[in-house]
Amino acid sequence: MSNWRVPLIYRDFRMSVPDYMQCAEDHQTLLVVVQPVGIVSEENFFKIYKRICSVSQLSMRDSQRALFIRYRHHYPPENNEWGDFQTHRKVVGLITITDCFSAKDWPQTFEKFHMQKEIYGSTLYDSRLFVFGLQGEVAEQPRPDVAFYPSYEDCDSVEKRIEDFIESLFIVLESKRLDRATDKSGDKIPLLCVPFEKKDFVGLDTDSRHYKKRCQGRMRKHVGDLCLQAGMLQDSLVHYHMSVELLRSVNDFLWLGAALEGLCSASVIYHYPGGTGGKSRALRLQGSSLPAEAANRHRPGALTTNGINPDTSAEIGRAKNCLSPEDIIDKYKEAISYYSKYKNAGVIELEACVKAVRVLAIQKRSMEASEFLQNAVYINLRQLSEEEKIQRYSILSELYQLIGFHRKSAFFKRVAAMQCVAPSIAEPGWRACYKLLLETLPGYSLSLDPKDFNKGTRCPGTHRGWAAVQMRLLHELVYASRRMGNPALSVRHLSFLLQTMLDFLSDQEKKDVTQSLENYTSKCPGTMELLTLPDGLTLPPVPFTKLPIVKHVKLLSLPASLRPHKMKSLLGQNVSAKSPFIYSPIIAHNRGEEKNKKIDFQWVQGDVCEVQLMVYNPMPFELRVENMGLLTSGVEFEALPAALSLPAESGLYPVTLVGVPQTTGTITVNGYRTTVFGVFSDCLLDNLLGVKTSGSTVEVIPALPRLQISTSLPRSAHSLQPSSGDEISTNVSVQLYNGETQQLIITLENIGMEPLETLEVTSKILPTKEKLYGDFLNWKLEETLAQFPLQPGKVATLAISIKAKLDFSCQENLLQDLSDDGISVSGFPLSSPFRQVVRPRVENRPATAPEGSKVGDLSHLKTLEAVLNFKYSGGPGHVEGYYRNLSLGLHVEVEPSVFFTRVSTLPATSTRQCHLLLDVFNSTEHELTVSARRNEELILHAGECQRMAIQVDKFNFESIPESLGENGQFANPKQLEEERQEARGLEINSKLDIHWRIPSLKRSGEASVEGLLNQLVLEHLQLAPLQWDVLVDGQLCDCDAAAACPVGDPVRLEVRLTNRSPRCVGPFALTVVPFQDHQNGVRNYDLQDTVSFVGSSTFHLEAVQPSGQSACLGALLFLYTGDFFLHIRFQEGSRSKELPPSWFCLPSVHVRALGAQA
Amino acid sequence: MAQIAVIAKENYPLYIRSTPMENELKFHYMVHTSLDVVDEKISAMGKALVDQRELYLGLLYPTEDYKVYGYVTNSKVKFVMVVDSSNTALRDNEIRSMFRKLHNSYTDVMCNPFYNPGDRIQSRAFDNMVTSMMIQVC
Repeated sequence: MSNWRVPLIYRDFRMSVPDYMQCAEDHQTLLVVVQPVGIVSEENFFKIYKRICSVSQLSMRDSQRALFIRYRHHYPPENNEWGDFQTHRKVVGLITITDCFSAKDWPQTFEKFHMQKEIYGSTLYDSRLFVFGLQGEVAEQPRPDVAFYPSYEDCDSVEKRIEDFIESLFIVLESKRLDRATDKSGDKIPLLCVPFEKKDFVGLDTDSRHYKKRCQGRMRKHVGDLCLQAGMLQDSLVHYHMSVELLRSVNDFLWLGAALEGLCSASVIYHYPGGTGGKSRALRLQGSSLPAEAANRHRPGALTTNGINPDTSAEIGRAKNCLSPEDIIDKYKEAISYYSKYKNAGVIELEACVKAVRVLAIQKRSMEASEFLQNAVYINLRQLSEEEKIQRYSILSELYQLIGFHRKSAFFKRVAAMQCVAPSIAEPGWRACYKLLLETLPGYSLSLDPKDFNKGTRCPGTHRGWAAVQMRLLHELVYASRRMGNPALSVRHLSFLLQTMLDFLSDQEKKDVTQSLENYTSKCPGTMELLTLPDGLTLPPVPFTKLPIVKHVKLLSLPASLRPHKMKSLLGQNVSAKSPFIYSPIIAHNRGEEKNKKIDFQWVQGDVCEVQLMVYNPMPFELRVENMGLLTSGVEFEALPAALSLPAESGLYPVTLVGVPQTTGTITVNGYRTTVFGVFSDCLLDNLLGVKTSGSTVEVIPALPRLQISTSLPRSAHSLQPSSGDEISTNVSVQLYNGETQQLIITLENIGMEPLETLEVTSKILPTKEKLYGDFLNWKLEETLAQFPLQPGKVATLAISIKAKLDFSCQENLLQDLSDDGISVSGFPLSSPFRQVVRPRVENRPATAPEGSKVGDLSHLKTLEAVLNFKYSGGPGHVEGYYRNLSLGLHVEVEPSVFFTRVSTLPATSTRQCHLLLDVFNSTEHELTVSARRNEELILHAGECQRMAIQVDKFNFESIPESLGENGQFANPKQLEEERQEARGLEINSKLDIHWRIPSLKRSGEASVEGLLNQLVLEHLQLAPLQWDVLVDGQLCDCDAAAACPVGDPVRLEVRLTNRSPRCVGPFALTVVPFQDHQNGVRNYDLQDTVSFVGSSTFHLEAVQPSGQSACLGALLFLYTGDFFLHIRFQEGSRSKELPPSWFCLPSVHVRALGAQA
Repeated sequence: MAQIAVIAKENYPLYIRSTPMENELKFHYMVHTSLDVVDEKISAMGKALVDQRELYLGLLYPTEDYKVYGYVTNSKVKFVMVVDSSNTALRDNEIRSMFRKLHNSYTDVMCNPFYNPGDRIQSRAFDNMVTSMMIQVC
């Protein structure tokens, strides 16, 4: 079918203006031209024209036939010349409308009417003149063809006049039909011809049979037309059939085509009383034909076929004459192929195509219709004017739309749009172009709502559609709207282009598009408002959700120091209100579900809150995002916009958006707003695809005060290892010498807006390997609290004392040292240790000689860390039961001050006392003095070690209350023992009261022996549970002092034992051995001649029960004067081995025997 | 040969290749509008033709310079070929076999586990096949 036509024939057309609106039913109409004469305002003319058009159909009173009128206000006269060919092209009626206000103008007006008639003169059946404004004498004269109306408002009878006019047309039509129909006999039938044929027939043999047949055939066809117009459908069919036969036999193709088309038209009218013109027809009539009327207009014809028509010929021919729907198309095809043989019949062919397409559209045979249209596209008319081209493309588009070829329709519409602004047009119609372009959108499956973009696609988030053509269209929309002078529209379209086509733009295109977008927005910024076009179309806003692309949205909790906490007691109440169970898996499950929506932290009214977005810049250049802020609901929120600059094709980039909630309640973060390239966007999270969010709803609690802490100590770069969820806001550090105490002044400032009402301070010492003695941190809160409530801006202080007291031992094996030094434990006191020369340790210990290594060994820093927690609250938040917790990290570096490298004891002369020998080592680099109670200061140079002896009373540890008793049952014995030892250490230390001082640094501190007292030393320091008292002559003999006794008299010697140990001891046998010390190392035990015992020299002591006492008595007789010592020894075997030897430490007895006093 | 296009079920291009690179948009429009005919033909075929497995749609429409042929797979993926109408050597049978070749190659692309159905075809093998086809025809 595509080759019906011969495309290469060049056509010279006379009839050049096609009526694209034609449809098959138009063949039954009478053409009436309505025109203004003189100066008639367009408004008035169309007002009357509309009323005239409303009378488009009229039933004839006498014949029950209907007449259809087609009105035109413009009709090219050359088309009129084709009236014989198809009578519906013939102008049969003329109505002129004119203004005439005075009788003087009347003749002139009337003259114009006549001139107008001349134009269509040859074909007119009748004409009318409507005169508006003229009143008086002239108007009084009744004239059949002229109607006078006083004004355009006052013209009720227009319709009536038109009806009369149509009736008169009918009469003429009827007469012509009858005239032509009957004069088939005898008379010579004139040859009807189309304008371009006229010259061809000059000199033709008019008498030939061939010629006569041609005349007959053409006349038949003409009569068929007239019958159709006169409402005699069946008659017309008969005539057409006859005509087709006649014309086919003589190969009169043009007219054969016309006859076939007539046949088609009549059949279409018969088959499709609803009409084929559809909406476009109603539009063309400018709304004059009401829908109801349009539906009814074929009723009379239908009635005719139902046999009411008395014309019998109709009844006979009905069935066989009328074409079937399939035949209609075949005949149309045939007709068109005949038309296509004539280059001058292009318009006829084109119109036939259009008519056939409309019929096919009704038959829903789109493929065939498209072939007709395809053919119509190739019909080259003469050089068309631009306007005609636009019309042609528009109608093609409309017809394609009609058959459901939306893409093709869009294509032609777009071509039409481009035609509106062709460079050859002096005044480009950008507005029309834009309007047409908008109409093409559905054809390219493009919606201007960015939300539609992801709907109905298989993979959400990806663009679907023919991007290349869509992009082109968007570019054209942008350009057209710009040329229209509507920058807001261009910005909107360009934004849309950028947003939706981003994936398809090349890097260069991205640059170009953004460049031009920035240019436009510099004049007219893009908004989030709905743009409404004059024709009612609305352009929804285009938020730039891809510039930048947001991948992840996370609401951040407040920093640890500002995070609100619920008071425990209140929390407990809440829980108990929810459920009577402490734990229930059901509740836990519910809570988990709730979590999805609501985040389990709170924001605080008046405090800056943060939301973190992970963003990504898809552009190949740096993207500047301005005014990026949060969109929230639920709580009054002051968003603090941020500006950011993202590097080209950045990876995920964190951006923090901040804002301050102004009221309390539940806040929902709905999205964010940006300004990119001058376009404001409100991007809602719900509309974003592929965004991960961990909930967007959070509770805002009432305002709380804010506490700021500053300290007298420098801030520290050390951060404490976070333990048990503590987050430290500030760290301070201090360096202390072991044993030193320092004050830390903390300044508390209320920097919030609410009064600070309560404050609680707690401390937590982080676990450390080091053993810490004494209270590390100490403070008194009462003075600070006296200044509360602290109003905003006010300051309070708190003093905290830090005491670092670590182990002073030097981690060496002291025990071994001690056992080396056997004498100090069990040796007999030779002399007072004060007399002993203090020998430097260095001598004794060559291994530690090199100074450097020693310092390296001992001076390593030790670290203590603690966290001070400040719980505070106030203001409305306090009422609600919230508090804040501020943590201060304390980092203490403890430098060693002194070490006790060795500890040992020496028995003192009294068994109740002993000497504690401490080797003190100065590990600092400064000169240092050490002092203990009742001792003078010992000066130590850097790195020096000296021995220090302190005389101490022995301790009765049993007198220390055993505070551990009550919790002792849980601790294992080893722990218990440790605790006990610690308590003893503390006791000893408080007695010793050792202090050090560094004069050059003006620093001082304590030194403690707690850590280095081992079991052995403790035992020595302990008061033995067996208390031995030796009485000489009734006098207690303990110290160095010698008991004086006379020579020759027996001296009473008594040994008493008091048992304080928890066990029974004894019995014991004691031997008293007297000797003389010559002070030169020689002891003379051979004293049988000098000292004699009264009785036995062996004493016997009974077994002594715990806390019992026992004594034994003996006597001595000194025979000579002299200094004697008595050594009281236990006899071999009598001393029980299981008791420690220190228990059997008897005081030595020094007796001075004096000569008898004269 | 002027252009070969593979069009997804949802009527967006999966692959487009045209020989004269200039004026590519024209071919885009041509193939885009041809989809009207393809749709019409598919709906016209209805159920009757599904059983016959006739995938070749034949000439979609002729223009003055080009002929547009169509082919539709069972999964409604369309192949459209635009050929120069002056090339009379190409008859229906040749076109048909070319479409079959195209279909086979497309099947290979789909067999690639790393190809995401619905994405643009970037397979080099497919590209080479199209190139060879275009050379063969021109």
